[in-house]
Amino acid sequence: MLGGSGSGKTTILKLINRLLEPSAGRILLAGEDITAIPAHLLRRRIGYVFQDIGLFPHMRVGANVGITPRLLGWAPKQIRARTDELLELVELPAADYRDRWPHELSGGQAQRVGVARALAAAPELVLFDEPFGALDPLTRLRLQTRLQTLRAELGFAAVFVTHDMHEALALADRVAVLHAGRLQQLATPAELFAEPANDYVAALMETISGPARLVEALAAGGEPGDNAGDGSQA
Amino acid sequence: MSALLDQLPGLLGAHLRLTLIALAVGIGLSLPLGVLATRVAWLERVVMVLASVVQTIPGLALLAVMVPILAALSLPSIGLLPALIGLSAYSILPILRNTVTGIRGVDPATIEAARGVGMSEVERLRLVELPLAMPVIVAGVRTASVWVVGTATLSTPVGAPSLGNYIFAGLQTRNDAAVILGCVAAAALALTLDGLIRLLEWSLTERRVGLRWALLGLVALAYAWVLGAPLVARLTGARGGDRVVIGTKPFTEQYILGEVLRAELAEQTALEPELLASLGSKVAFDALVSGDVDVYIDYSGTLWTNVYDGEVERGSERAVILAELERWLAAEYDVVLVASLGFENAYALAVPRERAAAHGLAAIGDLTAHAPRWSIAGDYEFFSRPEWAALGQRYGLAFAETRPMDTALMYEAVRTGEVEVLSAYSSDGRIAAYDLELLDDPRGAIPPYDAVILVNGAAARADPELVEVLAALDGQISVERMRAANKAVDLDGRPIEAAAAELRAAIRK
Repeated sequence: MLGGSGSGKTTILKLINRLLEPSAGRILLAGEDITAIPAHLLRRRIGYVFQDIGLFPHMRVGANVGITPRLLGWAPKQIRARTDELLELVELPAADYRDRWPHELSGGQAQRVGVARALAAAPELVLFDEPFGALDPLTRLRLQTRLQTLRAELGFAAVFVTHDMHEALALADRVAVLHAGRLQQLATPAELFAEPANDYVAALMETISGPARLVEALAAGGEPGDNAGDGSQA
Repeated sequence: MSALLDQLPGLLGAHLRLTLIALAVGIGLSLPLGVLATRVAWLERVVMVLASVVQTIPGLALLAVMVPILAALSLPSIGLLPALIGLSAYSILPILRNTVTGIRGVDPATIEAARGVGMSEVERLRLVELPLAMPVIVAGVRTASVWVVGTATLSTPVGAPSLGNYIFAGLQTRNDAAVILGCVAAAALALTLDGLIRLLEWSLTERRVGLRWALLGLVALAYAWVLGAPLVARLTGARGGDRVVIGTKPFTEQYILGEVLRAELAEQTALEPELLASLGSKVAFDALVSGDVDVYIDYSGTLWTNVYDGEVERGSERAVILAELERWLAAEYDVVLVASLGFENAYALAVPRERAAAHGLAAIGDLTAHAPRWSIAGDYEFFSRPEWAALGQRYGLAFAETRPMDTALMYEAVRTGEVEVLSAYSSDGRIAAYDLELLDDPRGAIPPYDAVILVNGAAARADPELVEVLAALDGQISVERMRAANKAVDLDGRPIEAAAAELRAAIRK
């Protein structure tokens, strides 16, 4: 889900796991109306990676990752094995990180723990609420790549909210463009470029193709500003 | 001093026990209430206002008011129960406030994460909110513990022994060492608890798990002692004769007479007399009626004013009033008036002898002309008592100023000329020592205040020898003897026990 601030992205995300309740309409998870499922049980089936990470400051990294399995009543041994497995998956060696406190982690490490926590109980759906927004570009890129691999390995569905065009186009199978509380278009990245549904989507695409042409011009040895908005030379 | 120190382990233990139980009850009440207040919006205001109101009630009044309330509910109205209820109520505010603050202070992002990972309401509270709020809650418990240790000194007048025994008795008998010992012991206890709980707080915020468990182990031990000690005492203490509880009110004469009764009973009977010192005036009578106290000494005028509600008029003679009280107490309260000691401790207006001579003062009526330029001192209750109203009516007294003050200070005030007239006690040793003259009361504004021994009816029937020994004291203590004993303590700084022994020796002669 791609959109500016106030477009309703996070609201939709919270509606999906019932942190908010819809005033109208229905949401189906694998064909089941989510209001038929007690909210806290529903949430155990849905991973959630928070924008502000929200690790429990009084629990060690391992306990944070294992929280949903613990709520589901897994055996401690099983939780431990799963926690270690996930820490390795997000490239935090379990032996080294399991017993750390959240305040001992960098922002990127903390968000990787956040991702591991969301995936711990093998959810069918994982919600990502601008999880990498606060990270530096290199860390962000690395985590984006890592996420793609994880999705391929673990095979979960993901709804990913961002206001970053690059992130949306790089990660998504389909992008929902939101603006002012309305869905503007739901399409693959390619379709968005090829057939923007309206002026808003078209303008949005321009914000990324413009700089891209600039980058290509720079790479080709041209002067910045030369026909930057034209693109015919590229 | 060593006699004082002998009592220290017992009183310190009793004080600590009161504090620990009150804190446990306080935590048990305010923690759920605080949690509930963060869940139900309107409840927060209600409980916070209620808790604040409780906090504004002076400690002594809060504890004292429990006595009639419990009596009205036919529950044990003196001793541990009223003290514990009062102290527990006192401990609620800081714990409640910090519970609410602590839970409200948890980062909203953390709360949302707790919901997001699938915690139910209860799991969120248990796994996230309470653990994160715990340092703040423990800080509230720390505040409460200091307050409770301080306020627990006020349990003495409602019949629960505490370090306040030192302070109340010490203030009344001008025994500075006792007062200081009581204060220092209470302060040391408060500081110790404060330090230990501070350490627990630190172990929570710094996540020192080992230290935390060590401290919690200490807490568990303390509570095991609180619960276990009475049990052990019950198992090992069930021997010897019957216990007889002798109550005393909080002033010198009462301490001396209480000790006289105790010594007489210990020497002449197989009973096991023990003192319950420094009870409030009304508390003592209520306790006697309920059987929490078996024996205490009161004054006919006090009973007349506070308890009696019959036909006989207040201007009657001493003997008539005594006989009527005896009948009334037996009929209405099953209380036996065993003996009249032989002296009165009445309110009496007193002036220094020089002033009496200079102004020709012999009777209360002689004050009327001077009153508009003079001030009068009395104890805290005197100016709201019927005697004061009667004095005004019968003699037309209108003083420039009435000054209630502590008993120990008011004699000094009239001696130094701070006030011109004093409402003294007729058996006080300082009347002779300070050369005060008591003014006659020809119009009978002040009723007689004969000192009388009262015994609970059931106790009297159970132990005939109790009544027998106490009845032998009838008429044995003249006002001169009582004044001498009071003076020995108040002015000469003799121990209560010594003054009581001398008084008993004088009786034997």
